[in-house]
Amino acid sequence: MEMPILETKGLKKYFKTPRGNLHAVDDINISIPKGHTLGVVGESGCGKSTLGRVILRLIEATDGEVLFEGDNILKYNIQQMDAMRRKLQIIFQDPFASLNPRLSVSEIIADPIRTNKLLKNRKEIEERVVELMQTVGLSERFINAYPHELDGGRRQRIGVARALALDPKFIVCDEPVSALDVSIQAQILNLMMDLQEERDLTYLFITHDMSVVKHISSQVMVMYMGQCVEIAPTDELFEQPMHPYSQALLSAIPVPQLRHDRKKRQLIRGEITSPINPKPGCRFAPRCPYASEKCTGESIPLTERSTGHFVSCVL
Amino acid sequence: MGNANTATVSASNQVKKNSQFKAIVKRYVKNKLAVFGLFLFIVLVVLALGAELFVDYDADAITQNMQIRLTPPNSEHIFGTDHYGRDVFARVLFGGRISLLVGTVTILASLTCGSIIGATAGYYGGKVDNILMRIMDVFLAIPSILLAISIVAALGNGMINLMIALSVSATPRFARIVRSSILTVKGQEFIEAAKAYGCHNVKIISYHILPNSIGPIIVQATLSMASTILMISSLSFVGLGLPSSIPEWGSMLSEAKEFMRYDPYLIVFPGIAIVLAVMAFNLIGDGLRDALDPKLRN
Repeated sequence: MEMPILETKGLKKYFKTPRGNLHAVDDINISIPKGHTLGVVGESGCGKSTLGRVILRLIEATDGEVLFEGDNILKYNIQQMDAMRRKLQIIFQDPFASLNPRLSVSEIIADPIRTNKLLKNRKEIEERVVELMQTVGLSERFINAYPHELDGGRRQRIGVARALALDPKFIVCDEPVSALDVSIQAQILNLMMDLQEERDLTYLFITHDMSVVKHISSQVMVMYMGQCVEIAPTDELFEQPMHPYSQALLSAIPVPQLRHDRKKRQLIRGEITSPINPKPGCRFAPRCPYASEKCTGESIPLTERSTGHFVSCVL
Repeated sequence: MGNANTATVSASNQVKKNSQFKAIVKRYVKNKLAVFGLFLFIVLVVLALGAELFVDYDADAITQNMQIRLTPPNSEHIFGTDHYGRDVFARVLFGGRISLLVGTVTILASLTCGSIIGATAGYYGGKVDNILMRIMDVFLAIPSILLAISIVAALGNGMINLMIALSVSATPRFARIVRSSILTVKGQEFIEAAKAYGCHNVKIISYHILPNSIGPIIVQATLSMASTILMISSLSFVGLGLPSSIPEWGSMLSEAKEFMRYDPYLIVFPGIAIVLAVMAFNLIGDGLRDALDPKLRN
């Protein structure tokens, strides 16, 4: 494998709550090679979005390292971080909340350029905005429009254009298509994949939609309560999920065939346990159909079952 | 060839970026009431500033002339004369200078201070928020008139001190309103996006947050106008504002109270002046609030 563009080592984020530490991100180790996409899946509240924000330092990590091109950016001071932010960008889930309603499309896309003083001349900025709009497939006539005048797909395109404005190398995509119609989802996903090819972008793609992950990722990480329970190349994970949680997630994908001899759906019973001061051992154990005594007591490390396929399970 | 060139030029003109300012002016002008408010305000200001063209300050507005005291409106004194025989019309005109100036300056000053304090408290949260807002609460707990009285008493009489006193007593309300509207905006994702591309806090507050919370701030500002004009008179009444010989709408009102029964015109004219000024401010405020909001484009 090539040299990874982004790595995390023992990345942790605990939120202090009155009842103890909430383990939102707990010891995550990932490494994404340049030009690839790591899909991150898991149910709501498992820490996917927090992971993305900690990597970008929108939330400060509790412990661990984030290495971008080999450098730990968590140690950077404000000036270094400002320079680094140009290379790391984010696309948000909600295309309504992620755009400032008071700014026009051109102002939204131009703001990153102005903030980082990449271009000074007004005309140059305007040309760049038009160019970016073309790149993401937005018609030039929307340049003076305001976000509320556009539909979800177009708004999300603005979000993509804003992220691209600084020519980043790495983009955290925080459920970028979850709020869109299925037909629009496909458009945006294809746009993102085209951009990835053209610009050699690297994505951390957060989602709870397994079919989206299959479409876009080269590698998938399954998260449960802040921890990585399984990480594998996409095809491998979809063919041979090893962790009971991944198996349950995969069996939840609807099959679009009428006479499909359906494997019995594996339902996860029970509620997610509290992420505040979790007990050692497998966090999925209370809901796992195969749980045994081995699962509790001590933490279960990720073990490599086949090349690049790591699972944290005693089975 | 020439035709082709003009075609491309006009095409690129078509998508030319509109400036935000022009768009706001355009939206403001469309609002008839707002334009009327602005017109009214300009008329009041022009009358106040150009008072010398109609009347003489010393002879008409200051010098007492007991022989003609309490004359009802007539051709010579169109608003009549007060209990010292001073021309009410002249006093209303000159009084506008002080009322409008002190009112406007006070609103602008307390708006600015309140916005800075409220924005800082709301945006940073935690200890900063607690300390700043508890200080504001202390100010709010004291009735604003008492607060203003004690500040003027400490600083001494004079117009500047009057403005300081009024601004200080109006600031906490602005701080509260700005803080609460900032809290609703600051959690949104576009703020996070701005942080992700390196926007610093001051720019995030001024460029991304404050414009989104301008509505309630403007409403509070226009509402404060009336109370400020009346507060000037209350301060003058207890002898801490301006000397009562100096014409000013609020103090004219409070002096006229005694004669209201038999000479109601004394209270009507300064009253109308205050009403017009407050109405102008409210209309301008409403118009501005709507013009600044791109969602209310048409």
